[in-house]
Amino acid sequence: MPGFQPRVWPTAVRIVDLSQPLNALHDVSEYTRVRLFVRLADRLLGSVEIANHRQPVSVSRLREAIADGLAPELLEGTKRIGTAGETPSSLASLVVERAAPAADAPAGLSADVPVSVVVATRDRPGDLRNCLQCLVAQISPRHVEIVVIDNNPGSGLTPPVVADFPDVILVNEPRQGLAYARNRGFVAASGEIAIATDDDVTMPPDWLEKLMAPFARSNVAAVTGNTLPLELDTDSQYLFEAYGGLGRGFRSLEADSVWFRSFRRRPVPTWELGATANAAFRMAVFAHPEIGLMDEALGPGMPSGVGEDTYLFYKIIRAGYTLVYTPDAFVWHKHRREMPALRHQIYNYSKGHVAYHLTTLLQDRDLRALTRLLLSLPRSQLGRIKQRLRGRSVYPVSLIMLEILGTMAGPWALWKSRRRVSREGRSGPFVPAAQRASIDSTDGREAATGR
Amino acid sequence: MAEPIKVLDVELSRPLDDLTSLHGYRALQALVRFHDAPLGYVTVPLLEGRCSAAALRQTISRELGPAVVRQLLRHRLALPLPRGGLDFDELLGTPPADYKGPMPSVTVAVCTRDRTSGLAKCLDSLVLLDYPDLELLVVDNAPSDDATEKLVRGRYPDVRYVCEPRPGLDWARNRAIAEADGEIIAYTDDDAAADPQWVTALARVFAEHPEVMAVTGLVVPLELETEAQIRFEQYGGFGRGFAREWFRLDARAGADGSHIGAGRFGTGANMAYRRSVFEHIGTFDPALDVGTETNGGGDLEMFFRVLQEGYTLVYEPSAVIRHRHRRSYGELRTQLTNHGIGLYSFFVRSARFYPDMRLRIIRFGLWWLWWWDVRRLLIGFARPARMPRDLILAELYGAFTGLTRYRKARKSAAEIEAAHGPIEREAGREDSSVMAAAE
Repeated sequence: MPGFQPRVWPTAVRIVDLSQPLNALHDVSEYTRVRLFVRLADRLLGSVEIANHRQPVSVSRLREAIADGLAPELLEGTKRIGTAGETPSSLASLVVERAAPAADAPAGLSADVPVSVVVATRDRPGDLRNCLQCLVAQISPRHVEIVVIDNNPGSGLTPPVVADFPDVILVNEPRQGLAYARNRGFVAASGEIAIATDDDVTMPPDWLEKLMAPFARSNVAAVTGNTLPLELDTDSQYLFEAYGGLGRGFRSLEADSVWFRSFRRRPVPTWELGATANAAFRMAVFAHPEIGLMDEALGPGMPSGVGEDTYLFYKIIRAGYTLVYTPDAFVWHKHRREMPALRHQIYNYSKGHVAYHLTTLLQDRDLRALTRLLLSLPRSQLGRIKQRLRGRSVYPVSLIMLEILGTMAGPWALWKSRRRVSREGRSGPFVPAAQRASIDSTDGREAATGR
Repeated sequence: MAEPIKVLDVELSRPLDDLTSLHGYRALQALVRFHDAPLGYVTVPLLEGRCSAAALRQTISRELGPAVVRQLLRHRLALPLPRGGLDFDELLGTPPADYKGPMPSVTVAVCTRDRTSGLAKCLDSLVLLDYPDLELLVVDNAPSDDATEKLVRGRYPDVRYVCEPRPGLDWARNRAIAEADGEIIAYTDDDAAADPQWVTALARVFAEHPEVMAVTGLVVPLELETEAQIRFEQYGGFGRGFAREWFRLDARAGADGSHIGAGRFGTGANMAYRRSVFEHIGTFDPALDVGTETNGGGDLEMFFRVLQEGYTLVYEPSAVIRHRHRRSYGELRTQLTNHGIGLYSFFVRSARFYPDMRLRIIRFGLWWLWWWDVRRLLIGFARPARMPRDLILAELYGAFTGLTRYRKARKSAAEIEAAHGPIEREAGREDSSVMAAAE
């Protein structure tokens, strides 16, 4: 047609059969594009488009276009995927596994990696004795160091218990606060990996090794486990589980930088990753410039209530490392038996939740905290009141009101906590065990260093 | 100062090992390759200088899994597929698809000036190139002493040494065109090192596609040891991605201006041309690039001209060059200023030689000023860590300076030519083709 100007691009239509050898397309110089339909014997797989700009299309360009454009369709008929029910995405990892087989994959963490268990306690000698008995009964091939931090040395209740366990190290931390106490333990511990746990916890004998196993991968910087209720005798214990408890489900989970970035508007739910009643850390993270020790202004023993553990998880994942939640490494936790203790705890948890989000907002400029504080948190509390009023839950409205009060008290609590930390001084500094020769690690009292 | 990042290659067709003793590095950036073809980078943060093979493998399959699968399929499609569909185990065992046709002769040209330590590393990599019909050429550009000549003649008997007295990188590049015997001429810089498969990957594109006149390749960092080097990669670096791309203007649609942003086609440290193309479109403009008032832009201008004149340019990421970025922050800032000067000198030059493109070039120049400089400067006020403002200002300053530099450089080039005469092939060597000298 003389004078005809196509408005788009003159496009050639061709079809290739992949069960035959591919040939270059030499007869497409009149066209700027080629729409190529691809079939495999009887099956029509799809089409790809090639911008050839009036040039022949070589075989290598055909292969490239088909492989890039129709990879899922080509793999759909793959025999092994069909039978084993595997998806193309799992194929990708299989390909890498096969393409780069591990020279000799270690089954778990090497037995010569030493571990330290850091137990913070405050005037609970009975619970502590039970906890230490569980710890010394752990079955582990590695060197296990046990460090107990007495967060109220003035009472004198803790040393007699520790004295019954010859290899357990006792360290004093007079500044009240679980983050202070745990940091003191991390600074004193000499292992390559530190496990943080509480005095009111009971562990099965295989717990420690299960918590260690994921550390075989070098990018794993923290591992958390599940926390189950030891007993549900009283109302308060039952309601604490209804509130959410300390367990985080029975499916394992990995949180890394991809996970961290996948939450665009809402904050990363680090509180769904576990808690320091059952958590292990590669000690090197405490010396990392972007991570450091726990934030002393957060956590039990401070007005802010809780959040020291979730904020540490937050910093570890943000720095690019991986946290693994492994539910098989479970412990039993004795929940508070009396209602007033439960009320106190729920009020603290609510304060701490707000304090944690404010910390990510103020320290890390993470604006996602705002959507949680201003939108989703009030919405979830109102939603649960509604559910209760409709009779769909047993969780009492009075406890939800207590949560709301705690939420409102959060900012004030964080401010008070920070004031206290600036008065009493920061923890540490953390010195990696290898560089520690000159520092006396048994000195429990440290001068307040100011801000 | 931030801790350095360890750079290395990971080849997926070989077993991975645990990496240890990377102390002092904050992270590992691995260039992941599969049968030599680069698939992408993965970055793994390090603790205590260790990276286990399991961690690396997991990161690779998460971030580059689809690319691995595509690469396997490309190789597999070289042979007809079974009618019933692919067999998984057979797919995993697919060998790389080889090209068995004739390959062209290639001349590799390194233009250098008073930088013998870098040049020695570059030549060490070039003598390891795995290619049958290869000529290695060093063009020593207006040297201040005979150190380069001694180095090349003394240590590298297989490398030809030519001295080009006219100062300016594009004079040296043109001298290389005049001296080269290869059908293909591939350029790299004296602060770069070539991958053993570099020439093979470039030449293969030329061999399989007679219409292709220029091929550029992937430039990866040789090291990320200093803050300036890390910044440069963050700032954009020289890499242009991991997908092969084809560029050609549609003759009927006319030059639409999509090729004015020539930086996206590649960089002078990794580019190759079919030597015959220079007979049709002329050689490099000696008023551009390092050693002249314009400080850059010679490579970009040639990419632009190849496309503007209706030829095809291909970006082939399998042709890998490792470039050692400037180590000090001051050098980096100077480099970015020069980058701005070179880019806008190239705009001025092209607007002058292609009057009907003038309006599009002005429009693009203004848009680039906004998009690349001003917009990022504004982001830099909000997020100083992501966009260092002093670097952006350096480039912005260069952009404005660049508007007037080309005119001066042209005068200097004319003077140089008057003093030295046109470029000629070294006496005593015969040439099969008569080459057009510089204008």
